[in-house]
Amino acid sequence: MIGAQLTGNLMQGLILGGIYGMATMGLSLIFGVLKVVNVGHGAFIMIGAFITLWIFTAFGLAPVIAIPVALIVGMAIGFVFFYLVMRRLIKAPELASLLATFAIGILLEEIAKLIFGSEFRGYNWAVGKIILPITVFPMSKIYAFIGSIAIALLLYIWFKKTRAGTAVRSVVEDSEGARVCGVNVGWVYALSFAIGIGLTVTSGVLLTMFIPVGINPYMGGGYTLKAFVIAVLGGLTSPYGAFFGGLIFGLIENGSYTLFALIPGVEAFAMTRFLSFLILLLILLIKPTGLLGAK
Amino acid sequence: MKGKRLLGMITFCAIFGLIFATTNTLMAQKVPEKIIIGHPEGMSGTYAKAGEQAIGGVRACIKWVNQTYGGVKIGGKKVPLEYKYYDCESKKEGVTSLIERLITVDKVNVVFAPYSSGLTLAGTPVAEKYKMLYMDHGGASDRIFQQGYKYIVQTIGPGTRYHMGTLDMIRKIDPAAKRVAMVYEDDEFSRMVLKGAEDHAKKLGFEIVFNRTYPGKVTDLTPVLSDMKAAKPDIVIGGGHYEDGQLFCRQMGDLDINVKALSLVASATLPAFHNALKSLAEGVMGPSHWEYGVTYSVEGAKKVNLGWIGPSQDEFVKLFKEALGKDVIPDYHAAEAGAQVLAYALAVEKARSIDPTAVRGALGELRFMSFYGAWDVDDTGLQVGHSMVDMQWQGGKRVIIWPPEAATGKLYYPMPTFGDKAKGKMAVPK
Repeated sequence: MIGAQLTGNLMQGLILGGIYGMATMGLSLIFGVLKVVNVGHGAFIMIGAFITLWIFTAFGLAPVIAIPVALIVGMAIGFVFFYLVMRRLIKAPELASLLATFAIGILLEEIAKLIFGSEFRGYNWAVGKIILPITVFPMSKIYAFIGSIAIALLLYIWFKKTRAGTAVRSVVEDSEGARVCGVNVGWVYALSFAIGIGLTVTSGVLLTMFIPVGINPYMGGGYTLKAFVIAVLGGLTSPYGAFFGGLIFGLIENGSYTLFALIPGVEAFAMTRFLSFLILLLILLIKPTGLLGAK
Repeated sequence: MKGKRLLGMITFCAIFGLIFATTNTLMAQKVPEKIIIGHPEGMSGTYAKAGEQAIGGVRACIKWVNQTYGGVKIGGKKVPLEYKYYDCESKKEGVTSLIERLITVDKVNVVFAPYSSGLTLAGTPVAEKYKMLYMDHGGASDRIFQQGYKYIVQTIGPGTRYHMGTLDMIRKIDPAAKRVAMVYEDDEFSRMVLKGAEDHAKKLGFEIVFNRTYPGKVTDLTPVLSDMKAAKPDIVIGGGHYEDGQLFCRQMGDLDINVKALSLVASATLPAFHNALKSLAEGVMGPSHWEYGVTYSVEGAKKVNLGWIGPSQDEFVKLFKEALGKDVIPDYHAAEAGAQVLAYALAVEKARSIDPTAVRGALGELRFMSFYGAWDVDDTGLQVGHSMVDMQWQGGKRVIIWPPEAATGKLYYPMPTFGDKAKGKMAVPK
């Protein structure tokens, strides 16, 4: 009985972890290249969620259609904010960029509230279920998981096999060295920030495919906190490391619940958060570059 | 002799005239030009929706007091109410600093607490420090009133009562439904609802087969709901606030957890719940302090020997829409905040003063009825006069199904399965 529950929860955790990983890749990419901690991360996830809601409710189109739309809109927003704000703050003290991203996050939330109001919204995309003896998976969750893997894989290929990807990796390694070798570092910063924001907005689409309710201007806060833990797990500067970090986080969160629930008098759900942050602390103590980060 | 009498009369008249003039001057000094209500409310952040509703409700009833009622009667004058509110961003630190500002800078005469138990509790020590009357329209936790605070008075009902009516109703209509699962958010308010429901369920002879909490701002309830499914409950009660309630119902559907009855606090009573979940919301119930359609009236108040104040339900809805500039029906957050304005106005008249200590004393003795229902508090300030109702989503509409004297329709029971609901089945009784 417990074995079946644990297996079911681990399977659910793996799928959710894929989405979490996808939602963290943008954060890691931006930190890796620009050394900027995007505290307004959750607000960009919220934009993706609203794009999905709008495409589904206004046009009756499947949420998967929102993926390319979100990527394009997200990248456009990324370029705008980079050239308006972030470009001036790259060499500034870290606190300046931290406050700037915090302000951008609040600005986006309040604009969303002006446009959409503060209601918690949702949609129903019924595309069937996979019913297993130990658990049930709505197909929308499976599609979201496949989407996450596909995007993570494409990003990996882009990083490893293209000139632009190589340029980004060189800036992550040593920006001055890359500049000396002829890499347009300014353009790499702009492109990385735009891709990072594009990925984050796209993750909002996938998150609403997983959980199509609770869409609200302030929905991103909970995901931001998790994204920081996952980013550390995955190695702060590595976007695909973040994806694996997400998978690990999802497994820990869901798997540990089943085990904590066996202990009488323990609030199992609260303990999963305690465990997540305990692991975060241990990793920072033992390997500050993150579990999957470089030495 | 005549001269002496005349002198005596002149002296008497002079003394009387002096006393009259002095008293009049003093009274004129004590009657204010306006009474200012201060309110830190969540206009952004987690509780922005409830905050918007509360502000709309307060503005609607202030307009009624000033225009229809003519103002608050003190010292022979009718004094208008003024409203000063700020956005606390749904954060505790915002609440405490804004209450300080409202009291010391804006010189308000009363402070209305923000929505939610956590935020209300956070502001209570500040109000106590300044001996300022602190009126609670949206903090339902009983614990707020167990701390010995003297200046807090509640309009919303206590959290421990939220699910009592639901359990009473199930016990009456289906004695065979014994297995209850309780899954609530781990916060100030929901813990109180859980405690009240737990005690009441035991008293009624229910078997509590599952009892868990989940943290605030949760993004996935799959683990706890999978665990709950294994306990095979007949009835599920729980919830917390807004997004978690939508998530709760949605993920019960995802996991095919079919039960006879599902009741969720706070979120299930809001139109957004059905808008977000569509047919999956059908048959879901929720306890509410007020629903459009309740039948409180002047005649009803007379029957229970209570005085009536305030607009009728339809007048309140009209004033609310004007206040917000939106064509929306108010929910219970608006109604309870509006009723609080009426309670304050009556208490000031009863105390013949705006002194917070005197008004607090008058509130303790006040009993009345308004469009929101009955109002009465105990010595600690806890609301004991107001009764809750239970509603159910039936064909996209909110129908009051309990208690029988307030019901506007019949209960649909058992709730349709999530499979049937996904195919469009409505929970409309035949």
